[in-house]
Amino acid sequence: MTTKTTRYISKTAMSFALLAPGLALAQADTSNWKCESCPFDSGARAAYEAGGTYVSDDAARFGNGTGYDEKGGYANLDGAGRLVSEEYLLDWTFADLGADSRMLQIDGGLQGKFGFHVGYRELPYRRFDTTSTIFTQAASDRLLLPSGWVPAGTTAGFTQLATSLAPQNIGTDRQIVDLGADWTPASQFRLFADFRRQTRDGIDITSGPSYTQTSFLPRFIDFETDQIDAGVQYATERASLTLAYYGSFFTNNNPSLTWETPYTAAPGATTLRMAREPDNDFQQVSLSGKYRFDAADTIIAASLATGTGEQDQEFLPYTINPDLGGNALPVPSLGAEVDTMNYALMLTSRPFDKARIKFGYRYDERDNTTPQYDWTRVIVDLFALGEAEQNTPYSFERSHLTLSGELVTWKDIRISGGYDRRTIKRDYQEVAEQTVDEGWGQMRWQPLAWFDFTLKGGASERDIDRYDETVGISLGQNPLMRKYYLAYRYRTYGELVASFTPVDSPLAFTTTVLMADDNYSQSRLGLTDSEELRVTADLSWAIAESTSVYFMIGHEAIDALQTGSEQFSTYDWVARHDDTFDHFGAGLRYAPVDGKLALRFDYNRGDGNTSIFVDSLSGGPSDLPDLESTLDSARIEASYAFSDRLEGTFDLRYERFQLADFAMVSEATLPTVLTMGADPYDYDVYAVGIGIRYRFGVEKLELAD
Amino acid sequence: MFSKQTERTRLQPATEGRRLGRLLALLAVLATFTASPVTAADDPPEYSKEGADTCFQCHDDQTVLAVFRTRHAVPGNPDSPFGHGQLQCEACHGPGGAHAGRVRRGEERPPMIQFGPDAVTPVEGQNAQCMNCHLADTGFAWHGSSHDDNTVACADCHTAHIERDPVLAKATQSEVCFDCHQQQRTESFKPYAHPVRQGKMACTDCHNTHGETTDRLLARSDVNSTCYDCHAELRGPYLWEHAPVAEDCANCHNPHGSNQPGMLTMRAPMLCQSCHSQAGHPSLPQDAGGLPGNLPSQFLLGQSCMNCHEQVHGSNHPSGSRLMR
Repeated sequence: MTTKTTRYISKTAMSFALLAPGLALAQADTSNWKCESCPFDSGARAAYEAGGTYVSDDAARFGNGTGYDEKGGYANLDGAGRLVSEEYLLDWTFADLGADSRMLQIDGGLQGKFGFHVGYRELPYRRFDTTSTIFTQAASDRLLLPSGWVPAGTTAGFTQLATSLAPQNIGTDRQIVDLGADWTPASQFRLFADFRRQTRDGIDITSGPSYTQTSFLPRFIDFETDQIDAGVQYATERASLTLAYYGSFFTNNNPSLTWETPYTAAPGATTLRMAREPDNDFQQVSLSGKYRFDAADTIIAASLATGTGEQDQEFLPYTINPDLGGNALPVPSLGAEVDTMNYALMLTSRPFDKARIKFGYRYDERDNTTPQYDWTRVIVDLFALGEAEQNTPYSFERSHLTLSGELVTWKDIRISGGYDRRTIKRDYQEVAEQTVDEGWGQMRWQPLAWFDFTLKGGASERDIDRYDETVGISLGQNPLMRKYYLAYRYRTYGELVASFTPVDSPLAFTTTVLMADDNYSQSRLGLTDSEELRVTADLSWAIAESTSVYFMIGHEAIDALQTGSEQFSTYDWVARHDDTFDHFGAGLRYAPVDGKLALRFDYNRGDGNTSIFVDSLSGGPSDLPDLESTLDSARIEASYAFSDRLEGTFDLRYERFQLADFAMVSEATLPTVLTMGADPYDYDVYAVGIGIRYRFGVEKLELAD
Repeated sequence: MFSKQTERTRLQPATEGRRLGRLLALLAVLATFTASPVTAADDPPEYSKEGADTCFQCHDDQTVLAVFRTRHAVPGNPDSPFGHGQLQCEACHGPGGAHAGRVRRGEERPPMIQFGPDAVTPVEGQNAQCMNCHLADTGFAWHGSSHDDNTVACADCHTAHIERDPVLAKATQSEVCFDCHQQQRTESFKPYAHPVRQGKMACTDCHNTHGETTDRLLARSDVNSTCYDCHAELRGPYLWEHAPVAEDCANCHNPHGSNQPGMLTMRAPMLCQSCHSQAGHPSLPQDAGGLPGNLPSQFLLGQSCMNCHEQVHGSNHPSGSRLMR
């Protein structure tokens, strides 16, 4: 009998043994279980690494996430350690202390009774380092033109532009402080609380429109969000109940932005102002519980959450144009409020060994109770709109019903199927009620222990009560337009997953294929058709106990077709989008037990391409230039053990990225848009780091004598 | 000591005895195949004599002993498998009495409960062991979750015999998830994506992988609530709301990655033109005629529609109904 067959028989036998109802275990007499040889952890242990990294060039995008956006040297300080006794534990980890992506995490407590964590991390978002602006900062919420600026009607007339542009990098930094604790006063009760403060600062791009022109503005970000999660949980072997509170409080320290327009402007309209994200908060109380019945291995889970979001930021005036003044505001602030309600019920049961059924129902409600007022808008600080317009507080109710079942049939083939119904009820929109009915089936077959094959397919129909064209018409919409997220849609999809993982074989292979087709057959204008294909394949090969390699590929293609009408009639232009992305990855791991050298190598390549073809009655067929991106990313990490405690480390990263994007144009390319002139990305950067790692405390585990 | 021949002779039963023996043997075999669970309960598997000390007589390599670097091996924690009075290795690997007992030469030892992709123990059996202790904190929600539906084993993601489980660290978690979620891995390498491939965001920042009553195992009530965890500035409620934004961020964004700036699902202005068809500039086709060298179009280049309507997530300005203020 082969080893594989033996293992398969063992597996089958064990599956029956483990699933046999009523199987009982012997009562263990642990009085002689001294665990005398057990090498329990105690004392302090840590590994610290110090070194440096050199980055070969400036590249904002390479620094996105990593913080390595500027050429030069960075200190590397990483480490992790533990202080442990029979009852107490303290864990600490820190990484990248020399870069803007630094993190520190400390966890500890009296195990099984009380725990705490303290964390700090930074997340750099680096967007552009090729941008420039004419604006100078008078305050964090006020931008000025350079002295001597000569306004003009178009960018071509900006005689001072070249001499006024100053480099301005675009990017923000997020800092997150996290404090939390949990306490188990009795075995069935657990209390937990977590507080996080996120701050985000830096500069992003916004645009400030004036009459028919607009300017890209360097906008100063200064956000602060406090979040609290706290609750109490009661749990037994049969049930659990959790009462929780979630609070999120956002503050924008720059709730408005004032700027001077560089264009020729009417008197009074040279200085403009926009509102930015208002302060807001959201608080939610939730109750969730689960109960397990002995009968048919049945579990019921239910949750109920109710929340309120509020926003009452003081309004800016309609305009700061002194020649217009604007009407009095109906209220000084909105007093906006959104009430949310979420509840769900889920039941899973195994009526007999080879079958399982599932029922789920979920309901989400957003009830926007914000009062409505009449507003008399001033258009771009120039024209007062005569007629009043009302704000529209959007609300919706959303539900999701699921019914599914699985049956293990002949040869352990698992057949499953299900039905889903999603409904949305809305107000103030073209579609008041929308229903998606979906049916699906799946077959999973594992004829051999090492071969797993799953095939899934389904279809869904998104139906609507009616498309109320009068809603769109009141806003000037073409009555034939069907918004893609509201329109009728018929979707079919299929998915295949196959994995080959022969036992005792060094090879493992997995592949997935997903195809989907969306047909918006009732849409004459808007998105009419979309097709999707996703393919992946992974191969790993354990060459030896210490060495393995892997290869992976991924392909994604999304094709979409939309129609439009420039004559405000039936469709007279179409746009076809072919969006593809290909990924290839390969790597090697070499880590011999008790060896001195450990090595890790990863390489990834990503190729993105978007082709847009437009065909119109007025312009004829026209291809827009392909939007292309190419990423090559490689990393080699190695360590060499000089002794049991001392290691040398080496880390080499290489990244090349090229982007072709016709929309990224220089500052004055567009007559009526003063951009910040971001160049399409094109860089290749390497970052090489070396360091020394030293281990403190006992490392090797040995059985006690 | 008997010779083989002598032994055979001594054990040779009488003819009637042989018949009775065969009958009893047949009944015994039938009883074995028709044994009810109650019978199994009557003869439960035995634990080892000395617990972990028994196991370590054979299993003493560093990989096994690494469990003592984990929270599963804390003697002061009564809930830990190695807490005082607990079942030590057999808390997870099951009773080891038979496994540690004597076996005939050439015969394989009865298997213990094993974990991981090469384990002989079926997934349901593996997970049942974990749920013995983790039912309250994770197990209840696990039942019926999409991971449970797809027969994912706890050990497919978690490594118990290691000091720092890779799936619990932000820097390494996605590698574990991407083993199965290969399409999401492909997306993570797109030009516009969250910093997951850089190891600065984890899948669990948005998803509760142990199961939730939410769609797609989202960490908060719905898509928007989950996004607002980090993007609270977009929550509003605004004076002038943009309807699809208030309903679902995923109407316009693909959070796993995109070829388009801002992780948009389609290139602007075409994305906007999938909903907006007003006479005038919203309904004009944007083709190569709007490129530099021809008549550069402010509706196609730069930030496209957002050159003017920048506040697409909503505006709180009294004059901001067109999302320009």
